[in-house]
Amino acid sequence: MAATRGPRPGALLAAALTLPGVVPQAVAQSVPDTGYIQFKYLDYRDWQPGARRMRVENPGLFVLKPLSESLVIEGSLVYDGMSGASPLYFNALSGASGEGVTDYRTAGDVRLTKYFDRFSIGVGVAYSHERDYISRAGSIEVRTWTADKNRTYAFGFAGSADRISADEGAVQGERKNVLDFLFGITQVLSPTSIVQSNITYSRGHGYFTDPYKLLDNRPDHRRILAWLTRYNEHFPSRDGTLQLAYRYIDDSFGADSNMLEVAWVQPLPHGWSVRPSLRYYTQKSAFFYFGPPVGSGLRPGEPYTADTRLSAFGAWTPGILVAKQLDDGWSVDLKLEYYEQRGSWRLGGDGSEGLLPFSARWIQVGVTKTF
Amino acid sequence: MSSSASAQRWACANLKMKALRIVVAGLVIAALGGCASYAPPQAWEKQYLALPAMQFDADKLDAKNIQHVYFSKEGSAGGYGVGGGGCGCN
Amino acid sequence: MRTARIVFAGKSHIPPFVGIRLDDRQWPRHNANVMKTLVSIALFAGWLGAAPAWAVAAGEAAPSLALPNAAGQEVALAKMRGGVVYVDFWASWCGPCKRSFPWMNEMARKYGAQGLTIVAVNVDKKREDADRFLKLLPAEFTVVFDPVGTTPAAWQVKSMPSSYLVDAEGKVVLVENGFKDERKADVEQRIRAALGMR
Repeated sequence: MAATRGPRPGALLAAALTLPGVVPQAVAQSVPDTGYIQFKYLDYRDWQPGARRMRVENPGLFVLKPLSESLVIEGSLVYDGMSGASPLYFNALSGASGEGVTDYRTAGDVRLTKYFDRFSIGVGVAYSHERDYISRAGSIEVRTWTADKNRTYAFGFAGSADRISADEGAVQGERKNVLDFLFGITQVLSPTSIVQSNITYSRGHGYFTDPYKLLDNRPDHRRILAWLTRYNEHFPSRDGTLQLAYRYIDDSFGADSNMLEVAWVQPLPHGWSVRPSLRYYTQKSAFFYFGPPVGSGLRPGEPYTADTRLSAFGAWTPGILVAKQLDDGWSVDLKLEYYEQRGSWRLGGDGSEGLLPFSARWIQVGVTKTF
Repeated sequence: MSSSASAQRWACANLKMKALRIVVAGLVIAALGGCASYAPPQAWEKQYLALPAMQFDADKLDAKNIQHVYFSKEGSAGGYGVGGGGCGCN
Repeated sequence: MRTARIVFAGKSHIPPFVGIRLDDRQWPRHNANVMKTLVSIALFAGWLGAAPAWAVAAGEAAPSLALPNAAGQEVALAKMRGGVVYVDFWASWCGPCKRSFPWMNEMARKYGAQGLTIVAVNVDKKREDADRFLKLLPAEFTVVFDPVGTTPAAWQVKSMPSSYLVDAEGKVVLVENGFKDERKADVEQRIRAALGMR
């Protein structure tokens, strides 16, 4: 009875995807049944008092597509265009006139996930290429869940093989190999709350030194144990969601850290939503970091660094994300974050001294289309 | 600085770090136990879990970009997942 | 030193796990490891899913269903004895439900005249979410609403969507968890069988 047939199923389906709150993946272990493509552009700038430093322009693409009702492929491609000055040691910037260098990086990754009734297996590869740094990585992730899907166990394993060859031939053919292990549990606590806790163990061997820093000589092995716990709770009366994250890292370099992040997602009328966030990070200095003047504490044959990233500091990141849902499965978002890192902000005091505050800001615009 | 004063400062900082960890662990446990009671939902009660804001990996490209920024500006990183590969921005 | 032996068929066997030669220092650690393994196995077996003693499975009598439709009139399964009923539990937030509606419309068109009634039970807490879904994917079958959740509990719904085929005697003949394209042909076959067609 052709006369009573409604609109083409495809058109209705496409229209239905505009329903707000319907995300391609209902809960993590459900198979995504709609694909989406996303383009984001990140514009990053950092500086220290009196001097601009790095500028990074980072366009990126991400695609997720279900190939069948149990097989999903996803992948991303990003490009980093970096220019500007970075410190040679402490806050002393590189380049004769402080103008610095230009560099680029291209990176891509692909992951294939197969879903079964009570478990899923995902296999991924990643490749990153810079003028002086090539990284290849492979990973496998197995997830398994209870019959009521309220608890998921995740087991991950990854290996990466990196090759470093710095300019001027000073460093050629150095390698760095890292093995990562992950064990995580996700537990739905109630109809409005969910928690996830992951422990990651990373063992690296090889070249960790930064060849662009003066006198930099790092140990040839690094072990990192990271424990991340995330908690989301929805408040139906306010229509908003609270997101909390806490991470503790134990690092063989000595740069142990604590991070706390809090955010609130608030939907607004007409498809708008806003997400203010605040992150605090505090870090101990590496055992081989010595404060100014450069070279103090340096002993022949012993590890040494004057890289402020391995100093003891605290850092704050206030941020805001604004998003709007449009018709036909389109949505746009804009994120703005400001970052500042200071020795005096380290929790408990004892931050590294003699360093200037480091500041950064980044803006990220994104467009997403479900299909 | 005399060794006993520096030892005292070290001991004090160590104690503060331990106290911080206990406080944060307490906050996490309170959030888990206090805000929401443990009542795992039935299949038909999962509408709020379907919201993007309730997902942990809703925006993968954003997470990738932001974690990359922090990896290049802070000493230690990780915990979110495995297999991203590296870069020269350590 | 302690070893355990099992005597079986006249021979003395030392099962690999049980009969181990350890000195006194190693036993406490060994015992602890055994306990940990046993506890892990027990927990693992536990979550693999102890099935409830009674389940809504094929062959069981269908639980009751009496819910209001969009106009407020009550729709009751008990009044549909003698006809085949396809009961589907859905929600606006359920991804596969978007694909199941066009298929259920097709089934209603093909077999409505032959005695098939489709009753789709909506479990959204807020009626406007369901209405928004229905505006985009109109239903050519009966839609009823249960925001409280007593009906899905009675039918022991394990996934969203879930559907149950009830025959003319009021017995459940098929339980489907989820909605998969690869199952469509088989479910349609079961509907035809229940209707006495073929």
